[in-house]
Amino acid sequence: MKRTSTAALRWAITGVILVAHGGALFAATAAPAAASFFKTAIVPILEQRCYECHSHESGKAKGGLVLDARSGWARGGDSGPAIIPKQPNNSLLIDAVRYGNVDTQMPPTGKLSESEISLLEQWVSMGAPDPRQADVGVVKKGIDIEAGRKHWAFQPVQNTVLPSVKDTSWPLDEADHFLLARLEQDNLHPAPDTDRHTWLRRATLDLTGLPPTPEEVHAFIADDSEEAFAKVTDRLLSSRAFGERWARHWLDLTGYADQVGTANSVAAADGWRYRDYLVDAFNADKAFDRFVREQIAGDLIPGGTVAERAAAIIATGFLLLGDIDIANSDKDQMRVDVTDQQVSKVGTAFLGLTLGCARCHDHKFDPIPVEDYYALAGIFQSTDSTYKINRGVWSMVRTRDLPETEAQQSTRAGLTNKHNAQIAAWKEQREASRKLAEALKPGSEERKQHDAKIRDLNRRIEHAEYVAPSIPQAIAVSDVAAPSDMYITIRGNPHALGKEVPRGFLQVASYSPPNKIPVEQSGRLELANWIASRENPLTARVTINRIWQKLFGEGLVRSVDYFGLRGETPSHPALLDHLAERFVGNGWSQKKLIRDLVLSRAYRMSGSYGSRAAAFDPDNRLHWRMNPQRLDAESIRDSHFAVSGKLQHSSGGPALALEYMENLNGLDPKNVNPPGFSLGTYHPGQKQQRTLYLPIMRYGPQPGPANVRNLFDFTQPASMTGQRAITAVPTQALFLMNSDELKQRASELADRLAVISNNTTVRIQQLWLLAYGRPISDEEQEKTLHFLGTDDFNWIQLCHALLASNEFLMRL
Amino acid sequence: MINRRHFLQNAACGFGGLAFHSLAQATALPSSVIHFPAKAKRVIFLFMAGGPSQPDLFDPKPYIQRKHGEKVTPPINDHLLRTGVDQFLALAPGAPVRPRGESGMMISDLLPHMATVADDLCLLRAMHADSKSHPTATMQLHTGAIAEARPTMGSWIGYGLGSENEDLPGYITIHPPADVRTYGAGFLPAAYQGTPLTVPKDDKTSAIQYLTDTQGDTNAQRARLQFLQGMNRRLLDRYQTEPQMEGLISAFEMAYRMQVSAPELVDISNESKPTQELYGIGEGATDRNGKACLLARRLSEAGVRFVQVTFDGWDHHGDIRTALPRSCDGSDKPVAGLIKDLKNRGMLDDTLVLWTGEFGRSPWSQDLSGTSPIEKHGREHQQESFCTILAGGGIKPGLTYGATDDFGFLPISGKIHMHDLHATILHQLGLNHERLTYRHAGRDYRLTDVYGRVVKEILV
Repeated sequence: MKRTSTAALRWAITGVILVAHGGALFAATAAPAAASFFKTAIVPILEQRCYECHSHESGKAKGGLVLDARSGWARGGDSGPAIIPKQPNNSLLIDAVRYGNVDTQMPPTGKLSESEISLLEQWVSMGAPDPRQADVGVVKKGIDIEAGRKHWAFQPVQNTVLPSVKDTSWPLDEADHFLLARLEQDNLHPAPDTDRHTWLRRATLDLTGLPPTPEEVHAFIADDSEEAFAKVTDRLLSSRAFGERWARHWLDLTGYADQVGTANSVAAADGWRYRDYLVDAFNADKAFDRFVREQIAGDLIPGGTVAERAAAIIATGFLLLGDIDIANSDKDQMRVDVTDQQVSKVGTAFLGLTLGCARCHDHKFDPIPVEDYYALAGIFQSTDSTYKINRGVWSMVRTRDLPETEAQQSTRAGLTNKHNAQIAAWKEQREASRKLAEALKPGSEERKQHDAKIRDLNRRIEHAEYVAPSIPQAIAVSDVAAPSDMYITIRGNPHALGKEVPRGFLQVASYSPPNKIPVEQSGRLELANWIASRENPLTARVTINRIWQKLFGEGLVRSVDYFGLRGETPSHPALLDHLAERFVGNGWSQKKLIRDLVLSRAYRMSGSYGSRAAAFDPDNRLHWRMNPQRLDAESIRDSHFAVSGKLQHSSGGPALALEYMENLNGLDPKNVNPPGFSLGTYHPGQKQQRTLYLPIMRYGPQPGPANVRNLFDFTQPASMTGQRAITAVPTQALFLMNSDELKQRASELADRLAVISNNTTVRIQQLWLLAYGRPISDEEQEKTLHFLGTDDFNWIQLCHALLASNEFLMRL
Repeated sequence: MINRRHFLQNAACGFGGLAFHSLAQATALPSSVIHFPAKAKRVIFLFMAGGPSQPDLFDPKPYIQRKHGEKVTPPINDHLLRTGVDQFLALAPGAPVRPRGESGMMISDLLPHMATVADDLCLLRAMHADSKSHPTATMQLHTGAIAEARPTMGSWIGYGLGSENEDLPGYITIHPPADVRTYGAGFLPAAYQGTPLTVPKDDKTSAIQYLTDTQGDTNAQRARLQFLQGMNRRLLDRYQTEPQMEGLISAFEMAYRMQVSAPELVDISNESKPTQELYGIGEGATDRNGKACLLARRLSEAGVRFVQVTFDGWDHHGDIRTALPRSCDGSDKPVAGLIKDLKNRGMLDDTLVLWTGEFGRSPWSQDLSGTSPIEKHGREHQQESFCTILAGGGIKPGLTYGATDDFGFLPISGKIHMHDLHATILHQLGLNHERLTYRHAGRDYRLTDVYGRVVKEILV
């Protein structure tokens, strides 16, 4: 590693020289002879071998470097000046053409000839005479932070006044005023209210990911009081299913999988704790500012009960449960890549920005200079995320012990005793078999039997020791021993460093001097406080927009993960700010906001097309109707199970059943690869639980019981996406037509109906209530009776058809 | 909008409707996206998963041969951890590598069939990439990017060129790698994702997942679908127009047709005996890969733009002298058979064939046990240089391009990065890699990111 550090140092030194010497020192020194040497010997090399990528004429300045002007090489590119006159051995250009550093060999298409290289060396030794005076100027523009603040998303959230509307009977919630006022501006009318059945199914699916039961339908329809809607909403918000659905929305922003990295199947055995943390956080309506602080810096938040401290540590799994290449053989590269992912994730999830773009250069569109990226990156570089393990080139993500209550400790002690007793018993058996085996003739049948038994016991013991009860662990971070600022890495290459940048936050979104980062800490807590502040112009806006999108299908800002200059502008800027303000004012309560929106008039609108508004605004940017939505993969599978009556409750827990020996392999510590897991055996009942609880793979397809995820636009856990794509492709239809899974559900549903009644009409009516949450129409009843005919088999066919139909697969 | 719905309602058994992000919409890009006259219309990508050993197969070095079993001191990059290669023992090829054909292209005796088509191939000997571990290097080969789930080459090409056959997906991957991201569409619409296909073992297994109704009652299936689509259309009527509903209706129509068209296409029984033999079909070692390659030709013929065939088993960390010949045996005849068959049918001119691994292997040995004799050693991954083969599609036949240093480690001329390979493939299809972009999260993305150079030197 000595080579590395000297190389790094050299790059750092040239960075300093850039600052010290600045522009062209040698403009007047070019003697005529030197000038002619330059013209005849050097220019042809530059023209033929360099200009294609480094000249004004080609329009390319790769690495920020141009060579068709003296100022070009003097100022240099991303790595500083390309030439230090008279010092060929300190000139990056010479190093590059010598092919000295694997990362910066130039020209990339093939090495120059030895004579060409020596001409260039000679030229630099002469002081690099270059009579080309013209400075065609690639002066770095730099980023004007003040100008950048003019972009709407970086402006402080504005106080809003409720706009007046003509039709005062329409609004139910203040949000409705904003929508209606905008529609009335263009003489448009909102869609009429949808029927109550549709509303109930819509709200139930949106809040819980499951369809309403026939009993719930009856109860709501029978209740004609004004409070009926609120009662339903409160019931849904207080169900466990609410957290299960909304936790999944959040997981889409984290790259969560039950696997670490992508190479081999390395178990993220404790990942589930983060998933359960999310379910609990949504169900307990954890204030969003606290939610932010815990996920970025939960380990640094002092105080609280044992359970609260444990939850806060688990929450930092947010930073680690993404796609991390733990098999990278370049550990410096791995470290900066993990940091990059953490910066990008925080940027996307909380701020709606693509911060990763500023890793290699100033952000192309947004007022985010490269220094801001490294100010944030320094915080995560000071965070302990991975460590090298003693197997080949492998690393692992960090885990931390969780605090335990006394009750937990004593339960664990009991389990440990039992476990140890079992291991001791096996070891005794093994010893006994060994003794017996030794006495027998090698190769004899009896001896073979004993040897096989010993091998089997070895495996059991190895596995049992691996899964022994231990202090509960979470995949979580802590600060490194010596937090420090970070050097700019040239194009993300940790072996090519630029200047050092003090840790800090985004300048463009800061409106007061930020809290100082204590020298002995990473700065995550200060970053979390900066994000979870009412002064931050992005956090609340991004968050309420995500909630709006989940309920209405499209965000007020349609690019939900990107609020930068190239993102979409808000369709209703005042409404966005109104909701952001309301959200923060209500103690950052997500449930309160969701409740208000579900009870709004806007949420009651029908999804059907109104001719005038449709012609004026076919994309529904003004929200004149509800956007019908195809269910996401999880809702499709969960609804199929719910309707067939086979859905099993879960209270969370490990996704991977590592307690089964057959699910773990490669335990032998001599192995160059870490232990791997497989999915041969599931926990009892797990395959019938909600999709949330099934294992998530990053590398291969999602496992069999959750195959629907491979077909219906599940967010691949290598990316972070706040809004899933909705596509329609034949492979989905093939699944709905031919899969054994759906046939099984159809058959279970038919069985369920058969138990309800012998009467065909009663059965069909119940089927419609179960599948669609509404009564069957006369026309449908007639067609269905015709379809059923007399063959009992047709009941399964009918159920199958409904489970595959648009009305079932969509929330209208 | 009304016309579109009207069309759908009248498309009784056809599926030609413009579905919401459906396959049929794969033609959605304006034809102006063709930036240059295309030399190739389609691509067949033969993926040698694991990293085939170029020092054994195509790029032997006298120096390594001479130093066999002795320590060498290559200019290695010491910020990389290594396992089992700390001795850097030179490992000579286990079989002779000789000049072939009129071109004199160097090909190992382990690939006797490929040697006979040497003059149709273009051998790139100074390829390089950025990652040394399988998943990330495989991602870079397929998507240009090491991390994230970006769109794959096949998706970009489908997005750029559209489909030639509306009865079939435009991008099919035969025996795909386990990582689904190798045929994913990333942020492009799912219509552009690869459809995985397996050569069926018998009549009862289906080539595409869920392609056949396992209960086999086609009448019941048809009746159920008619009832289902009836309900779907009545719902659509109530909503007048709704792209997601229309998309699903049309997906069902296409799926129904695929049930008929796909099994016919994957049925190779009507291919002549000589053709089957050409691919090694019926021989133990080559049957599976031979069928996959023959299918690739049939799918290409039927208008599938991008067909990938994956050949596993090139990751030879140990005992390479025993293991490599087996991998060669399984792939040599199918690959050479495909080239010959394409040529005989006049398809090689406008079909670009790509043969490559995600990286290559080191000229020095690797011994994970630390105790084996040199003859039992394998080779470590090497992204610094490796070999790739192109054929057809306007690429110079018989050309050997690029060279590496005396070790066979660092490129010294004709260096081609993975991004350059992508740029060149797109170029041959008439697509400018800098202009084939898709706006996602506020940024215009490309297959080649901000890199890539069309390697004009290898073009006809």
